[in-house]
Amino acid sequence: MDSPSRTFERLTLPGKVIFTLVPILIALLAGLVMAIVLVGPFALDFLSANLPLVRFVVAATVVLLMTVPTAFLIIYMEMKVIALMNLRYGPDRVGPYGSLLSVVHGLKVLMKEDFTPTGADGIVFTWAPVVVYMASVMTLLVLPFAPGIFGVDMNIGLLYFFAMGGLGVVGLLMAGWSSFNKYSLIGGLRSAAQVVSYEIPLTLSVVGIVLLSGTLSLNKITLDQSGSLFDWYVFKQPLAFLIFMIAATAEANRTPFDLTEADSEIVAGFATEYSGMRFGFFFFAEYVNVFIVSGLAVALFMGGWNAPFDWPFPIVAQPDLAGMGVGLLLAIGLIPPLAILLLAMPFYLLNTGLRFWQALVIGFVLFNVVAVAALLGFAFISFDWVVGLLWFLMKTYGFVFLFVWMRGTLPRVRIDQLMGFAWKWLLPAALLNLFVTALAIVLVTTPR
Amino acid sequence: MSADLTTARHASSDDPRVMLEEAVGVFAPIPPYPPRTEREAEFYTLGDGEMFINMGPQHPSTHGVLRVVLKIEGERVVDLDPVLGYLHRGVEKLCENADYHHTIAYTDPLEYVSALFNEWAPVMAFEKLMDVEVPRRAEYIRVLSGELNRIASHALFMGWMALDLGGLTPILWSFIERDEIVDMLASLTGQRMLFNYFRIGGVNGDLNHEFMSRLGAWMSKATSQIEANQALLNENEIFVRRMRGLGTLDREAAFRLCMTGPNIRASGVPLDMRRAHPYSVYPDLEFDIPTRQEGDCLARYLVRLDEVKQSIRIIDQCLHDMPDGPIMAKLPRLMRPRPGRAYAAVEGPRGQYATYAISDGTDQPFRMRIHDPSFVHLQAVGLLTSGNLIADTMAIMASLDPIMGGVDK
Amino acid sequence: MDRALKRRLEARFGDRLLGPIRQRHDETEIRVAPGDVPEVMRALHDEPEFRFEALMDLCGVDTGSVMQTVYHLWSETTPDWLRVVADGLSRDDPRVPSVTFLWKGAEWQEREAYDMFGIAFEGNRDLRRIYMPPDYTSFPLRKDFFLPDDAARSPGGGVRHIEQAHAPSNATVDAQVRKAPTS
Repeated sequence: MDSPSRTFERLTLPGKVIFTLVPILIALLAGLVMAIVLVGPFALDFLSANLPLVRFVVAATVVLLMTVPTAFLIIYMEMKVIALMNLRYGPDRVGPYGSLLSVVHGLKVLMKEDFTPTGADGIVFTWAPVVVYMASVMTLLVLPFAPGIFGVDMNIGLLYFFAMGGLGVVGLLMAGWSSFNKYSLIGGLRSAAQVVSYEIPLTLSVVGIVLLSGTLSLNKITLDQSGSLFDWYVFKQPLAFLIFMIAATAEANRTPFDLTEADSEIVAGFATEYSGMRFGFFFFAEYVNVFIVSGLAVALFMGGWNAPFDWPFPIVAQPDLAGMGVGLLLAIGLIPPLAILLLAMPFYLLNTGLRFWQALVIGFVLFNVVAVAALLGFAFISFDWVVGLLWFLMKTYGFVFLFVWMRGTLPRVRIDQLMGFAWKWLLPAALLNLFVTALAIVLVTTPR
Repeated sequence: MSADLTTARHASSDDPRVMLEEAVGVFAPIPPYPPRTEREAEFYTLGDGEMFINMGPQHPSTHGVLRVVLKIEGERVVDLDPVLGYLHRGVEKLCENADYHHTIAYTDPLEYVSALFNEWAPVMAFEKLMDVEVPRRAEYIRVLSGELNRIASHALFMGWMALDLGGLTPILWSFIERDEIVDMLASLTGQRMLFNYFRIGGVNGDLNHEFMSRLGAWMSKATSQIEANQALLNENEIFVRRMRGLGTLDREAAFRLCMTGPNIRASGVPLDMRRAHPYSVYPDLEFDIPTRQEGDCLARYLVRLDEVKQSIRIIDQCLHDMPDGPIMAKLPRLMRPRPGRAYAAVEGPRGQYATYAISDGTDQPFRMRIHDPSFVHLQAVGLLTSGNLIADTMAIMASLDPIMGGVDK
Repeated sequence: MDRALKRRLEARFGDRLLGPIRQRHDETEIRVAPGDVPEVMRALHDEPEFRFEALMDLCGVDTGSVMQTVYHLWSETTPDWLRVVADGLSRDDPRVPSVTFLWKGAEWQEREAYDMFGIAFEGNRDLRRIYMPPDYTSFPLRKDFFLPDDAARSPGGGVRHIEQAHAPSNATVDAQVRKAPTS
């Protein structure tokens, strides 16, 4: 045997993998560089010619990526808030105050075995979580987060939203039917009955807003509410807001309407037979749904990204960084070390127990905090979308908290009460609201 | 439908495909043997559009290892068949082979939520067999600790009730109370759950300082704390609407079903062993027997709430009237009661706990029958649930408050 | 002890009682033949002078020579427990009429007695095993069913023979079986 192959034989398994991969990676990289150099200009031209397409791809990617931290945050919030309501500690081991527990949950779910029960319809079983997850992710596309920050400004945004929301139930039904489990079947059928019934009052409750604003685009509805606090639709359509919140709770399968996964009755409903990441998708979809429903409530009724009051400071113009020339380089090079030293000094001088390097570490951490705060403050007063995004997220998480609060407080309703409530109370109320709104519009706008 | 499947299973059992399906349970009917009784045959015959769903023995809301086979039509429960025995330990047989003193350790863990009452009934029966006069102080201590245990048990009931209806919080709130009481009893008896405290002729230990100080601290805030916890549920519209008018039992039906305890008192019958057949020092104590006329799940829940208040009243009186004196009657170590029979019943948090003991003159009971209310109450679930929804099964079962440790002796 | 109850019972069921009415502490005991159980129970339940509305307990007893079923009744009319013993069931084929026509709640207690003693309650429409598995053949609380060796034993009673479990079908009722007092 010649020496190179003997050397290869002596390598450990990772060594062999790396040894094989490195040339391939180098070749790929070279090819990529060549491609950029050769095709780059044409590609750029093509992309700039099709800006909406690029925008869509970017938006879809961002939305898809956004769901993960959103779900993690809401899961953590739910665990912690309900724990505090239950007089428990809740998560407190992983990360500060247990804040990384949901990340660990995510990893655990990824690593668990993903099995399909015998007798299940494999294909439908596999695709059900995907359908559920995609349905919730796709609704995020039309949610206006801030001025200019939205996936697509569809002029049928609201309609699209409800259509996609209704698609999710198909996934739940698929999961319930394909699992080959009676609990799952009952859960799936319950969710179909529940979501379909609550779609109607949910949709009817927002028709009043559509009449008022004259558009289905969520972005325009949000813009319509700009101005003072009392331009928000919650003050013009209080009944609609109430109906919307109740129906949205049912739509998101949250307590007290979480009959589809009523653990004391049908174990875990449609998700009984799921494990691993497939279950993770259901789990994610549920929490993303909470976020979406809260976001929609904010966009429709709570003024979206509009601040409840005018920001007292005028928005400053962006500083002319290019005009600083070499000064910019000097500033970037000198300000951080000087600031770190400055911040470290008091600790070193006042606390004799500290070594100098320890004081420096403290200074470094403090500097980072100050710098991030300064950057955020700068962004806050310079770009209106940062303000908008902050307001939107604040309001949305306020609603998320409301949902979590309800989960911690209320028991579950029964299926006949659930359906009776939808058809006997919510639907007439929504129709009444629609009638009154239409009447008011006619009376106000029709010239005598 | 099930008949077809059964014949298909037997006719073509050499077909490997059918055998495979049978092996994975695709067509396996329940039960896998011919029906033994009329009722079983009726239950395991499916009507049109009906199906079986099996709850337990591992299920989130069966209060232990109970298996319930539900026959459902859509969401509606047509009939149900509880299957017991997953926790059966043969305590009656063990007691027949144990010393009179040993039996207490066997009966004690039967109902682990309110263990003192399962000690009390056999102890009383043996005292009757032996004509023992229990010192008054011991009787007062028994009543005191028993009522504390009753409150702890009812506190847990309220939490469980809410949990079975989907409310997460109340069970953890009611555990505050239960934990305090259970710790208190631990300082008295040395154990948190299975106390093994009552002895034939008295109790194991006298009141101690730690118990008294804990009890005093708890009594000063008990009423307000209990009311705060109860407000969480009583004023909840969803909770009340789900419970009201559900699983209604009238007076006659309650007697026919051999109900005792809060479950029969919720149907308007003031049947409480403490008054109906007085024992211990209860004749000397002042308390009311709360009853309700409705007989539904809400009434069964509210009766227990009222009982907690009465228990606090009794504890208060016990503390005031507690006499001095010995806590154990003078008894030989080895007991050989004269041949005879004795029946003793106490009023526990779930109903009548009773013991029927037969002595044959040796130091072991010849026969020891332990009557547990959970066992009797659980069979009412089937009658109350038929025609209601799946979710109501849990509500009704929780409102009857069976503990599987007591059901499967 | 409620003497009035004793007199009333004697007047009503005089000829049906097997032996005298016994009273001790707060218990009154009557013994009837198994065949008389339904009529006696119905009379005790319905007639206004008794009104024993509540069946507090139902259990089987194996005395070693015969089987019994024991009913404990409660009534507002008397401070005593009334114990009705259906005495003299044969150990080979114990049969007694069911009381489920009066107390539906007796169903499971009768099932338990059937499971533990093999007493067949005629008229109980769900008489199958309740605790033991359906394919089980023995009746564990019978006196000829012995516990395995490591089970609890009395320190005072001395060590008895090595106990063993065996089916009642091939059990021999001999001196090993504990017999109830004859009183």
